[in-house]
Amino acid sequence: MRCSYGLTAIPGTDARFFSPETSFFQLRRTFQPTRIKFGSFKIKAKIDEARKEMSFYELLGISETGTSLEIKQAYKQLARKYHPDVSPPDRVEEYTARFIRVQEAYETLSDPRTRALYDKDLALGIHLAFSARRRYQNDEDLEDRSEWKNRWQSQLSELKRRSMNRDAGGNMSWGARMRRQREELSKEL
Amino acid sequence: MAMSSSIFRTNFLPLQQSQDERPKCRFNGVAVAQLEPENARKTMVKQSQQTRQLKRFLNFSGEKPSTPLLDTINHPIHMKNLSIEELGKLADELREEVVYTVSNTGGHLSSNLGVAELTVALHHVFDTPVDKILWDVGHQSYPHKILTGRRSRMHSIRQTCGLAGFPKREESIHDAFGAGHSSTSISAGLGMAVGRDLLGKNNHVIAVIGDGAMTAGMAYEALNNAGYLDTNLIIILNDNKQVSLPTATVDGPAPPVGALSKALTKLHSNKEFRQLREAAKGITKQIGGQTHEIAAKFDSCMRGVVGGSGASLFEELGVYYIGPVDGHDVEDLVYVMNEIKSMPAPGPVLIHVITEKGKGYAPAEVAPDKMHGVVKFDPKSGKQMKSKSPTRSYTQYFAESLIAEAQEDDKIVGIHAAMGGGTGLNLFQKQFPDRCFDVGIAEQHAVTFAAGLASEGLKPFCAIYSSFLQRGFDQVAHDVDLQKLPVRFAIDRAGLVGADGPTHCGAFDTTFMACLPNMVVMAPSNETELMHMVATAAAIDDRPSCFRYPRGNGIGSILPPNNKGTPLEIGKGRVLREGSGRVAILGYGTIVQSCMKAAEQLQMHDISTTVADARFCKPIDGDLLKQLAQEHEILITVEEGSIGGFSTHVSHFLCLNGLLDGKLKWRPMVLPDRYIDHGSQSDQIEEAGLSSKHIAATVLSLLGLTRGSKCII
Repeated sequence: MRCSYGLTAIPGTDARFFSPETSFFQLRRTFQPTRIKFGSFKIKAKIDEARKEMSFYELLGISETGTSLEIKQAYKQLARKYHPDVSPPDRVEEYTARFIRVQEAYETLSDPRTRALYDKDLALGIHLAFSARRRYQNDEDLEDRSEWKNRWQSQLSELKRRSMNRDAGGNMSWGARMRRQREELSKEL
Repeated sequence: MAMSSSIFRTNFLPLQQSQDERPKCRFNGVAVAQLEPENARKTMVKQSQQTRQLKRFLNFSGEKPSTPLLDTINHPIHMKNLSIEELGKLADELREEVVYTVSNTGGHLSSNLGVAELTVALHHVFDTPVDKILWDVGHQSYPHKILTGRRSRMHSIRQTCGLAGFPKREESIHDAFGAGHSSTSISAGLGMAVGRDLLGKNNHVIAVIGDGAMTAGMAYEALNNAGYLDTNLIIILNDNKQVSLPTATVDGPAPPVGALSKALTKLHSNKEFRQLREAAKGITKQIGGQTHEIAAKFDSCMRGVVGGSGASLFEELGVYYIGPVDGHDVEDLVYVMNEIKSMPAPGPVLIHVITEKGKGYAPAEVAPDKMHGVVKFDPKSGKQMKSKSPTRSYTQYFAESLIAEAQEDDKIVGIHAAMGGGTGLNLFQKQFPDRCFDVGIAEQHAVTFAAGLASEGLKPFCAIYSSFLQRGFDQVAHDVDLQKLPVRFAIDRAGLVGADGPTHCGAFDTTFMACLPNMVVMAPSNETELMHMVATAAAIDDRPSCFRYPRGNGIGSILPPNNKGTPLEIGKGRVLREGSGRVAILGYGTIVQSCMKAAEQLQMHDISTTVADARFCKPIDGDLLKQLAQEHEILITVEEGSIGGFSTHVSHFLCLNGLLDGKLKWRPMVLPDRYIDHGSQSDQIEEAGLSSKHIAATVLSLLGLTRGSKCII
């Protein structure tokens, strides 16, 4: 039976079944990007980032207790500097790689929820690329789930509204008639 | 303090994160000694509920899991005071309990793991037995049984005199409706809802149906009716994207069958839409300002369009659609259910819940068949302890002989109703992927589809379980038999089936097939005969035919070379054992083996017995019957089927030919006129009175040797 938990993410397994330390070693020895969702370029970028061992904060050049405004300003500055369109032609690749990393850093740090998770990982000393990668996968699912939540919340409120007016005079469905009968009975009692 | 927390942790896997993210356990008024002390939890960070719930390390070590929360629950009412975190913890404990139980008894595993949170949420919000919860098919009802006071008997599930493997009304008042065949829950639920309305009662009715069961027409008939009646009814569509059982093909789950699943998948997420959104967000973030507002408007417009269109399938039927909802997030589930519960007149509502089959137990999640149905297994690794048998199952022999036939005749096609693994057609599909059709859980359609194929000159083999074929009887009678179309029915799981119980028992197929005027009805006595009968059926091209075989393994008879059978002469049985005495036993189907054993037992009492294998119920072997009736004084006919089958046809023949007017004593041995409960197959045969000992005892009692018959039994 395939029991390879860890970064070679089998859909369905999750953080519970491996410890960060063992996965860290796995990453160092044999990194195989089996789930190449966003293009190998990004994976390579993460590896580069991993090698440089810079935290998102160092990347953006701010302290770990930076406010969201500081994060935003730092990002805008760096984005303008490293954007592929404005970078010097001989260093396009390097600058683009940096740009992507900066963008990733901003995405993680600008959302207070993901920032909190990232801070926790940093405190535990988990390797960057590992956590960033995990965030990507979780992020997609998180996005899915939050989208779903918004959708069914609006569906519920619509149903509530309909439910209030459902048994009004015009509706002659069998169910509505029975509900009206039952209400009249309970009013009589 | 550190000591006590480490004692608490001994049940968990040794590898854990040092900062355990278990949520706080606040028990209202229930003091449980194993609770972790407060200060050890100071360093925990409370994770938002949006990440998936699974924060505990579950104990799948094979020892009885420690389940402090589950130990306090003996009735759903004990769950009312639990908080959301406790409910999540309870779901995890249920998982441990299910894995522990099923690893010891065998049964259905992954479907139960997938609905742990759903079951917990349902019982927390609703109040059975007043509220009715109906589980479609019912193989996912183990957590429900555990929570409704049957935990102490779970070790006996699917065993003789134990709990049934499916909901059963006689077993508990919490089981609102019996199940076993699929797609019945919405219909039954609608009936219960309408009954409630007519009687002026005020309870809730909830039907839980899976995406596979939704492919059956009956579910749509029910939805259509529910929409029309507009009565309050909650339908929970448990969608784990396993529209075909994961055993469908040899390599794992088949891609979903049909357009229905495409529609359901659209409801999950709209990747293109999200990617569009991402791109738009990215661009506008860099530019900022006005573009962002415009993009945001675009966003909300798109959301309306995409969200609305997907749900129209159910809306058109008049059922309000809510979802998708994460089926492993107890908070979301409880919130949605509470909201609907509080509405006075929601009408029929469908909650689309997304779950994962086998969730929480890694070996099930990664297995290609998802460990849907298992025998005893080792919980640590998930390795099943399948007993080795010298012979293979009848299903496998059937599949191999069908493949051998199909290699010579390219008009042979196979049809099954979402039971690729169960009928052996997964092997056929591997060889001939274009000639194997899985129609989903739709036996009625499968039969008429086969009839259509036959009318075009193809040779369809419909492999459907005996009890599932009941659902397609009208199609067999009206579309196949009446028009004399040459459809071949391979009726698997005929007779008693063991642990699945009466819902899956194949007692009636001989009765309802042999009463049709044009049908050829046959039954093999061993695997060699089965292969010959597959060849015979392939050769019968002017009328429909069927053959039945049981659940179980072959007896070890010698197979024809290359598994290619030779067609038998139609309407001819055979004599297996020539006796010199007054007694003849005529068997139909694999029970002939028990007849042979009975003959040996009778030999020990110096009674010489003739044993014959009828092979064909229709057209019946009249010459053999005449010979047996005229040359013997006692004739016993034996079959593993209900009244109205083979024995009835024999009685008609004997009567109409005047063979009962003389000295002949004829006795039929059939399944009794009651449902035989689940258990092992040998126990069931004993209960039914059809074992070799019973056959021999019947003979002895007819001979007047009653003391002898008591010895035998």
